[in-house]
Amino acid sequence: MNANALADAHPVQAGRVDADAELVAAARTNPREFLALYERYFDRVLGYARLRIRDPATCEDVTSRVFTTALEQIHRFRGEGSFAAWLFQIARNTVRDAQRQRPTEPLAEDRPATDPTPEESVLERERARHLHALIRLLRPEQQHLLALRYGAGLPYEEIGLMLGSAPATVRVRMHRILEELRLRYSDDQA
Amino acid sequence: MTRHDDSDLRLLERDLTALAAPRDDDERLRRTLRDELQAALRPQPIRRRFPRRVATATAAAIVAAAAVVLVATVGTNGSGGPAVASAAIVHHALAAVTPPANQILHTEVVGVQNGVTVVGETWQQTSPPYASRGIKGLAGHGSEFSDDGTTSYAYDPVTNTIDEQPDSSPPTFADPMSQIRAELARGQASVVGTVTIGGASLYKLALPHGVVGYFDQTDYRARYLDDPQHDGSVVRLRVAAYEYLPMTPDNRALLSVTAQHPRARIVVSSAAASAASGK
Repeated sequence: MNANALADAHPVQAGRVDADAELVAAARTNPREFLALYERYFDRVLGYARLRIRDPATCEDVTSRVFTTALEQIHRFRGEGSFAAWLFQIARNTVRDAQRQRPTEPLAEDRPATDPTPEESVLERERARHLHALIRLLRPEQQHLLALRYGAGLPYEEIGLMLGSAPATVRVRMHRILEELRLRYSDDQA
Repeated sequence: MTRHDDSDLRLLERDLTALAAPRDDDERLRRTLRDELQAALRPQPIRRRFPRRVATATAAAIVAAAAVVLVATVGTNGSGGPAVASAAIVHHALAAVTPPANQILHTEVVGVQNGVTVVGETWQQTSPPYASRGIKGLAGHGSEFSDDGTTSYAYDPVTNTIDEQPDSSPPTFADPMSQIRAELARGQASVVGTVTIGGASLYKLALPHGVVGYFDQTDYRARYLDDPQHDGSVVRLRVAAYEYLPMTPDNRALLSVTAQHPRARIVVSSAAASAASGK
């Protein structure tokens, strides 16, 4: 097991939590300052959505909704936890809502994109489809954790802060999720 | 763990990361969303870039809108005839998919995609708080969830656990027929002919985005939906159930995952959920 292989794939800058607190305070005073938070988190939220939802249009829709919701609700954020935890909980709920709003799940999420994408130059379209389908078999909490790590690219330390768990505990949970996924993935590849 | 297993995990991690990899048009999306946020920051209501695909209007609002649409359609038709007939068909079709208040709407749609049967079955209150339960996905292996207006639940049959978390937004009335209902109400449907499917004579109604609804000529019930896919294919969904149930205690239990799985272990999500929900 080498769950650390991608630990620094999307390094989070040191001191970011403090920087978020300053930006959040500024945004609560002057909503235009929210754009700085948007720029900081756009890639991560989009990545989070892409790990959980296959349909590109729905991923964009979810990303849009996450930030409009956050902007609407920023005055309600009290700072009990980190801004990132708050934002990704909105992302989690938005993904859940998106997944429920179609008649049948696979129609919304398992259809291939019209145009080739860089992702599909690395992964064959069918493998990506299978992997998304397997992710959907995980429990919602597991999907959320997986997307925080491999979609948003957050380090274990930050995920631990979000979930109120020690980084070591997050690693163990992630290890179990990956093992579960690996077994199913291997079966499908066989 | 073997070296082989370790290698598999690295490949898995690589593939997971690739799913979320940046794409060429991300910068365009970033600028577009930023522009919309900036527009929203001006003194006006926040507008969402992407229209919700599912209607969120209440049944009463839909009926009211439909009345306007019907009057407008008929009123602008100088010669009567086919246009009036089409408007009447749309009106009847809308009425057939507009639920009465204080009931439970039970729907089930079944389709085949890539050779695999997919099913979506829902139960939902037709009045606030619009509590709902649904099962969606591969036939016999769908995911199950419910929402009582303040809390959402997801059931995992493998571990017999229910994931519970506070809701971030009030539930809306969003059954599988929502899009059809909303487009009918907006006057966005047109009768394009009649067809026979499975021996039933049906009106064929074209809707925006390539969606097609097929309504029974005898009672105007929705029988089939054509759901276009991004790759150009179309998945036809058969409406296997569309019925209104009274709010009896037994039927109320159909709205709840916890009532359906009383022996399941409930896992409450993290405290962050409460903070995000604002509830």
